[in-house]
Amino acid sequence: MSTFTTTVRHGEDGVVIIALHGYLDAHTASEFERELRALIQGGASRIIVDFSDLEYISSAGLGVFMVFIEDVRRDHGDILLASMRENVFSVFDLLGFQVLFTITTTVDQAQQEFRSRR
Amino acid sequence: MTNNPYHLTPLRIVPSTENLERIRAYIASAIVSTFLSEVERNGIILAVDEACANLFTHAVAMCPTSVIELRIVVTEHVVTIEIRDQSAAFDLRDVDQPDMDDYFREMRPGGLGIALIRRVMDQIDYVPASADIPFNRLILRKHHRSAS
Repeated sequence: MSTFTTTVRHGEDGVVIIALHGYLDAHTASEFERELRALIQGGASRIIVDFSDLEYISSAGLGVFMVFIEDVRRDHGDILLASMRENVFSVFDLLGFQVLFTITTTVDQAQQEFRSRR
Repeated sequence: MTNNPYHLTPLRIVPSTENLERIRAYIASAIVSTFLSEVERNGIILAVDEACANLFTHAVAMCPTSVIELRIVVTEHVVTIEIRDQSAAFDLRDVDQPDMDDYFREMRPGGLGIALIRRVMDQIDYVPASADIPFNRLILRKHHRSAS
């Protein structure tokens, strides 16, 4: 069975950083959707997703970001995607997700991106 | 890789997303020492994951006690994966492909799995069950780019 967990930490200026661990597929995507929904309903709108410990993603995982991106942007926030491994980035790249999402090399760069938008 | 085809013992599993990791491991073990690049191998694993997840979600939901079977054959020139199921026929080639500009503009949350399969695999065939063969067959192929 696929294993997937998340950890949440708080950055500067209300930025929330959610780190993904393991495998995000059709089995685990609903768990991630619940956790991201809880964060957003709790008031988070400036969110960085740290992919550095995510081993694998399929379209079900990509779909979770599509569920929430409109809501957070309406709230003047965003979901920035950071620190992807090559195999994970290639899934986003295959479908051209860079058109809709900002993808940064590191979490620090994502934090800088939020700072630049103040 | 020799000219002799490499067949892995078929994998028979119940249709549950809990089994996706097992499916990925099965495919990975068969293609680990092929001619394919790591990017291509990851793409094949992704395509089979997407095809099975789609099958589990849509077709097999109507027949949850069925079993699906995966077969893989690797030759010098091509990797062929066959997914057999006994649920209602569903030919993913009939699904219209999303225009990604429209997709992002409308912020749709799903429907990307088949698009990924089409981008990654070189050939997709589908043979629905018949009186002679009582299972559907989805056949995915990836060719060696430099094979003659």
